[in-house]
Amino acid sequence: MPQKTPESASPSRALALAACALALGAPLLSGWAGMAAGAGAAGCVLYGRWKWAKLVRQGKAQRDALRDRLLQSQKLAAIGEVAAGIAHEINNPLAVITQETEWMEHLLAPPLPMSEQTYSAVRQGLKDVQAQVNRCADITHSLLSLARNWTPILQPVDLNTLAEDMAKLVELEARQRNVTLDRRYAPDLPEALLDPPLMRQAILNLLVNALHAVEGGGVISMATAPGPEGGCILRVADTGPGIPEQNISRIFDPFFTTKAPGKGTGLGLAITHRIIDRLGGTITAESPPGKGAVFTISLPPTPAKEPQP
Amino acid sequence: MNTTPVRLLLVDDEERFVTTLARLLGLRGMAVTSALSAEQALAAFAPGAFDVALLDVKMPGVSGVDLLVELRKRDPDIEVIMLTGHASVDVAAEIMSRGGSDYLLKPCPTDDIAAKILSAYERRCAKKG
Repeated sequence: MPQKTPESASPSRALALAACALALGAPLLSGWAGMAAGAGAAGCVLYGRWKWAKLVRQGKAQRDALRDRLLQSQKLAAIGEVAAGIAHEINNPLAVITQETEWMEHLLAPPLPMSEQTYSAVRQGLKDVQAQVNRCADITHSLLSLARNWTPILQPVDLNTLAEDMAKLVELEARQRNVTLDRRYAPDLPEALLDPPLMRQAILNLLVNALHAVEGGGVISMATAPGPEGGCILRVADTGPGIPEQNISRIFDPFFTTKAPGKGTGLGLAITHRIIDRLGGTITAESPPGKGAVFTISLPPTPAKEPQP
Repeated sequence: MNTTPVRLLLVDDEERFVTTLARLLGLRGMAVTSALSAEQALAAFAPGAFDVALLDVKMPGVSGVDLLVELRKRDPDIEVIMLTGHASVDVAAEIMSRGGSDYLLKPCPTDDIAAKILSAYERRCAKKG
């Protein structure tokens, strides 16, 4: 009689066992697979997010590095431009001094004593040298003024009064140059939050600039008006030759000038721009064809006072 | 003292510089015609009237570089030296590309200016044969 082994005892039993195993194992296995699949998907999502964050971080770092490089190159370009301006403005008076001293050396060559005429020529030469030294000093002083880190001390001020103070300052010179100074101050002007000395300097620069523009006679108009949202506007216009269209965008650049040599440092409008910027305002230049130049300063409103408890 | 009869056109908007440099170059035997702008220079200019032109680069109105081009157009033999208050590779390259012979940086001793003018003059004489 053949021995019965459990495995071979009954094929039906083996099938039944297999069916049981399947019945019990399939859900178990599918559970594991599901969990594994779920975990895999979550892992993928996490990995994707991590990878994405890494890419974003890298992108930001690259963008910041590029921005820094751009800023640096812009700074270098600006420094280069200013340095070229300084070199030009200083080298020109130095050139006059160089030739003037050579000329005086020639005049002072023996025989001595010198004639009355030579003596006068040497004196004139010395005066010219002094004038050129003053010109260089004007440039360096203006540069220092431009480079100064102004911290405005703001206080509520009547802009009309400041404007009139400066108008009085240039009035005599204007009259001597056959220039009419027309003032139109708005009576209902709100107080502006300003640093009076800085604002005076800005107004004076605009008036002096206008005075140079209308050389030989003309009209300078200075007007104030209430600005938007309680601010103030100051406008200085002249009947000079105006600003060519291609120069408008450069008019506030340091050392940009269309004046004759020695007639300006090319820093006045740059300083004015800086001051107005520090005061939180804006300044613009316009030159309608045939109508001279107009500079408009727009100052922000004075913040409302906190109600006292 | 060099007495070469160089006919020089000196153009610079810096009046005192022009006056004094013209005197000093005159002492060196040069015949100097001065102009304070490109417009004045063109009014004084005629082909063959000058051997060398000494021009300031930065002038209001027509610039020295534009004047250089105009002078060379009117008289291709003229030697042009440019004077500049700020030298840069760009300025030098532009001067040379527009037909300038040489350039000088201000301030500059008159001896150096005269030496450049004489060397430009010699070049012009050599070209004309």
